[in-house]
Order: sequence, then structure tokens, then C-alpha cells
Amino acid sequence: MSILYDEGQQAIATESRRALEARVSKDDLLPLLQDSGKYHDGFWTTAKEQGWTALALPEAHGGLDLGLVELGLIAHQAGRSLSGAPFLTSSFGAAKAIELYGSDEQKARWLPGLASGETIGAIAFATGPDPLPATPSVALDGGRVDGTAAGVSGGLFADVAIVFAREDSAPALAIVDLGGAKRKAIGSFDNSRCIADLIFAGVPAETLVSGEAARAAALHILALQAVVTAHEQTGGAEALMEIARDYALTRKAFGQPIGAFQSIKHRIAELYGLVELARANAIHAAAREGQDDFITAAAAARLSATEAYDTAARDCVQIHGGIGVTWEIGLHLHMRRARTLALEQGSSFFWEDVLVDRLAGEGA
Amino acid sequence: MTDLETYRAKAETWCESMVPAFGKAAREGLGVEEDLALGRRYQKAKFDAGYAGINWPVDLGGQGLGHIEKITFEAEEMKHGFPNVYFGISLGMPVPVLMQFGSDRAFVKERVLKALQGEEIWCQLFSEPSGGTDLAGLRTRAETDGNGWKINGQKVWTSWAQYSDYGVIVVRTDPTVAKHKGLTYFWVDMKAPGVTVRPIKLAGGDSHVNEVFFDDVKISDDHRMSPVGGGFAVALATLMIERYVATDSAGFGPHLSLFVDLAKEVKLNGRPAIEDGRIRQQIARNHTMRAGLDSINRRARLMMQAGMTPGPEGALNKLVAVRSRQKLSELALDLQGTDAFPFDEHASSRDDWASSWINAPTGRIAGGSDETLLNTIAERILGLPQDHRPDKGVPFNQIPA
Repeated sequence: MSILYDEGQQAIATESRRALEARVSKDDLLPLLQDSGKYHDGFWTTAKEQGWTALALPEAHGGLDLGLVELGLIAHQAGRSLSGAPFLTSSFGAAKAIELYGSDEQKARWLPGLASGETIGAIAFATGPDPLPATPSVALDGGRVDGTAAGVSGGLFADVAIVFAREDSAPALAIVDLGGAKRKAIGSFDNSRCIADLIFAGVPAETLVSGEAARAAALHILALQAVVTAHEQTGGAEALMEIARDYALTRKAFGQPIGAFQSIKHRIAELYGLVELARANAIHAAAREGQDDFITAAAAARLSATEAYDTAARDCVQIHGGIGVTWEIGLHLHMRRARTLALEQGSSFFWEDVLVDRLAGEGA
Repeated sequence: MTDLETYRAKAETWCESMVPAFGKAAREGLGVEEDLALGRRYQKAKFDAGYAGINWPVDLGGQGLGHIEKITFEAEEMKHGFPNVYFGISLGMPVPVLMQFGSDRAFVKERVLKALQGEEIWCQLFSEPSGGTDLAGLRTRAETDGNGWKINGQKVWTSWAQYSDYGVIVVRTDPTVAKHKGLTYFWVDMKAPGVTVRPIKLAGGDSHVNEVFFDDVKISDDHRMSPVGGGFAVALATLMIERYVATDSAGFGPHLSLFVDLAKEVKLNGRPAIEDGRIRQQIARNHTMRAGLDSINRRARLMMQAGMTPGPEGALNKLVAVRSRQKLSELALDLQGTDAFPFDEHASSRDDWASSWINAPTGRIAGGSDETLLNTIAERILGLPQDHRPDKGVPFNQIPA
């Protein structure tokens, strides 16, 4: 199933683009890089005001009952404009985990706040290179968690985290109220992601899913987030392709626009190909939510979006020459974001394995 | 079921019913001439069943349906390996152009009906030894000869010319004006005196393309399909006719599932190759690319169903699919090691890795090379400048050879 966006969906795209272009600028984002512990308030305020935080959550808990397709459209625009905070995706992931696996009580406690954006959620699944480790670093025992979840995007400001933990020798998915956690800010190459180590010492936690089912549940949440991120990556790649095109039309060398040289124009045409493949895969994956092949579609979306954004970041800077590597022009904002988004929600190695397991009939 | 789904289901059933007579097994071991004869019977069967000229006017023997029905049928037909390759160019470009630009309507109708039934084949005489991409730089000339014209020169890479009854041709009628302004478009009888067709054997062993020589070939002025000097516009119209054909994300090579099967069978370092990270990465990358193209193609179809014009991203299919087919085919041979050496020249590129590999370069060159496609994307879609063209605006006969 592929889809054509309907009028309502097209309006979401247009409106979110207008709002973000008015509220987020390069000049706001550059200083955030040198100041760990800050996000772009205008971005997050806009997200809350526009109802983006509520978009894909159930109406019964303050949501708007739309889905991945609509959230993907917002994420695409957030990618174009360089979102100023990671919470749109991280809160969505946390809320979906609670919606899909939580009790009525847990939903009532957390979902309204996550939908309004007053509560910020985070996902703490990974240990270093392993997005879903065989032995998670956090231990769950008797309703409490101990250990450190390292490098959690949005962790510095999150109120609640969904933690992939070990319970005896089995995996578990737990909700942790971060009021009782210690946070250690990480100075990263993309500081507005508000990355932190979450340090737990006997912090109260509630189990969402126990045993091997927790691994499948965590993968599902990662896949949902990966599809949102794929839209964001595609948006970033598209913006870079356009920036490169515009520069190639105006910058002259040897008496002609550099875009008349095939080494430049073919490079940009190749970017067009990567962007369109990423867009097609992302739209397809969003439309497959709830179907048997969703994980496969999400993996393809994730892989092609990561390739598109990373390549666009490399090539756009290269096409600019010297000016491309200056602080002021800000292309490094996209370079940084491309790599950050490539690492959040699992690297390409992880998704390649997820995909091939399924194609070869070895999938869980 | 929607009307289109009903149409598709009927097409699927019909195609399946044709497999015993015309499918891969029926074609096995046939020489080209026998296969062509089988192909003519298949084309006739299509015509009788109402699957020829699906989107062509009813008064010319077509079905009067939409483009969407045509590609829906083609997507079903493509699954079976029927002997339809001989008619692809003929019914894809020259005959539609004849329908659009042919002046003698009775003649046009007779030709169209014969072409639709596989009785006659048309070829397209565009490329020349001095250039293919630079179409307007062609050198074959037509000079006035009494009330008609006399053609001299050479065409090349002409698909199926050796089996063609007619062809459409672009020639230079005025060398004193800028190159694309001095061209005129005609149809020619391929059996006329002075036409010599010489097949070219390609790297993979087959000979579907030809050199075609014209020595004082005389034609009357009613063969002309464009104004004198207005041939380039008709040539462009020819190339624009089929912007959305049924495409194949495998680049007309083997399906990725065949590669996965191979990787499960073969061992690398004592373990199934499917467990090797290098192989897994290639499978993942190829799947991702093909899935993207499939989604683009499905979206284009939905847009056509909704009466919209599909986006320009459909132009990516040929560029992306064929070059990755080439690399994947190399890798499939790597996986087999010395077991890959036995080579069957008559194997199909659709299910044989060596055949797919050796014929892949043709796919990256014919019908617009990778480089030409990149230029088209850059210029037409992204608005980037044209390449530097030193011959622009220069009279043809003053361009340094």
C-alpha cells in the first residue's frame, strides 16, 4: 500500500512548514551548539501550540487520533528546519509504549501530559552500539531500577523514560518516573538533543512488558520512532539538496555557474535520487503501521533516510567549497544532525540485520 | 473490487492461461526466428483478447481505455516472460507516432492493425555512428529528388531492424541552419531498394540491434511526418510518448529473492553466506533501493488513477535499478566462485546472474545513458544549467567535425 496525501494531510505539511520557518532560524540554533543543556524553546512551544505532541495519540487521552503518516509530515518539516529539540520523537515513542503496553492506570497517568507536551518522554533502550542489548545495563528488581542508561536523547529534560532493562536474566520494558533519577549531561556534537546519562539507584519503576515479549515490544517502539525519524532525515536531506542546487545556480567559476559542470550537477541529481527514494520508503512505512510487514518497511525507510541525509550533508558542504565549512553558514548544523539522527533509534548496522532477518525468513 | 482491480484480476487470469503456449517453458530452446514466430502468435492472441493497443483509439483497433489499464496489464504480463520483446519498440514509439502524425489515414489504419496483430514490425531509426545522445547532430541526409526525397547515410543500434517492415527516421534536410532546425521526420519501407540491414552481435551474444545503411533510397513526399525542418519536435514527441511504462525495480535483472536464496545455499568461510555481514549489507541496501522504487511506481499509478500527473521521480527507475542490478550480478558471481563459470548464452537476464551481468551495460546505455539521465534530472527537474554546448546556434555545416 502506498498513499497519496489527502487535503488535510497536505494542510498539515503546509502549516507546519510555515510555522517552523517563522519560528526556527539558523541564528537561534548555532548558539545552542556551544551550550549543553539548552533546547530551542520556540520549536518546542510551537510543537505544543500546534498540537503536534498530541497528533498521533489516542483521543481518549488527549490526543488527536491521527497516525504516523501525519506525524511523519511534521517530522519532515522539522527535518527541513532543523528541529530545536528531540522531544517530538522521544515523547511519541514513550507515549506509544504506554498506549500499547500500559495499564489503564498508567495511560491515565502519563498520556494526557505527553499529549499536551507538558510531560516530556524519553526512550532508554541502547547500550553503546547495541540498540537492543542482550544484557541491558539497567537492572529491574522488585519495582526498582538500578544502573546507568547512557546517552539518552532528551534525557536531560525528560519527566518519564521507557527503559529496556534486565529482570533476572530476561529482558523487560519499564516505565520510570525520572523525578528520582540522577542525570549527567553529555556535551555532544549536537547539543540541542539534550543528551544525558540517566543514573538509577533504586528508582521506583513499573513493568510494562516482561520476558522475551519485551524485546519484540521494544523493537516495535524503535520502528515507530525510526519511521518518524526517517521523515525528519528525509526533510533534512531535501533541504540540503535545495541549498546545494541554489548555491550551484548562483556561484560562478570559470565564467559560468558551477551547476553547469557535470561533476556538480550530477552530484546534485544523485542527491535528488536518494531523497526521492527515502521519501517513498518513509511514506510507505508510515502507511504500513499495524500491518505484518511494518518492521520490514520501517527498516527500509530508516536505511534509505540515513543514507540520504548523510550523503546530502557530505555533498552539500563539498559543493560549497570553503564557505561550506565555516561556522557562520551553518551547514554543519545539518552535518551534526544527520549523524545524530543516524545514531538515535539504532544505527544502519542494526536495521540492516533487522531487515535481512526478515527477508531471509529468520525474523522474530 | 474496484473496476481497475477487476480489470487486473481478469488480465492476471488471461496471462496465466497463456503460459502453456507462450511462457518460458514453451520458449526454451527456440532459435530467434522460431521465437519471433511464436511471438507473432502471442501478439495476435493479445489482440484477439483485447489486450493490444489498450489505450489506443477504438477506430484504429485499440481498446480506448486509459494509460492506467495499459500499465496494469503490463505489470501482469511482465511476470511470465512471454515473447513480446520484438514488439516493444514497434508499438511503443513508431506506431503511436504514425497514429499521431501520419497524413494518409487509410494507410495509417492498415499499418496500425497489422502492427497490433504482430504481422508487421516497425523500428526507430534515430541513433547514428557519430552520436546517440546528441540526436540533433545526426548526419544521414535527405535531398529533394523530383517530387520526393532521396536518403543517404547510416543509422545504428536500431533494435529489431532485421525483422522490421517499416521504420520511422529522422534525417537532415538542411545543413545550413542550426543542427536541430534542419531535420525532417519520415517513415520508410525497410524492404525498399537501397536499405541494407546488418545485425550487430553484442557482448552477451545476441544480435537484436543493427546497422542500417541507406544508399539513394527514394521515398515520396507523402512519407513525410513533420514539416520540412520540423523533424526534431516530432522526434522529441516520440521520446515523450511513454513516460510511464510498467517499470521494474529489479532493472530487468533477477529478483532480489533469488540472491537471498543463493546466499542461503552458498557457504563463505564455512558458514552460510547469508550470515556474512558483507552479503547482508548488500541485500539490505538493494532491498531498500528497490522498495523505494516500488513505492514511487505505486504512487505514480495511484496518481494516474486519480487523474493526476505523476511526479518526475519516475525518471529514477532506469538510472537506479539497472546500475545496481549490474553490481548485484557481479556479487552473485562472486558468491559462486568458480561454480559461476559455466555460461549459457541463451539464459534469461531475469533469472541468470551471468546473463544479467553481461547484458547490464546495455541497460545503462540504451534509451538514455546514466549520464544523460542525470543531466535530465539536473536540468529538467532541478533547474540546473545546461552543459556548455559549443555547437549551439551554429549552422550544422560549420560545426567542426
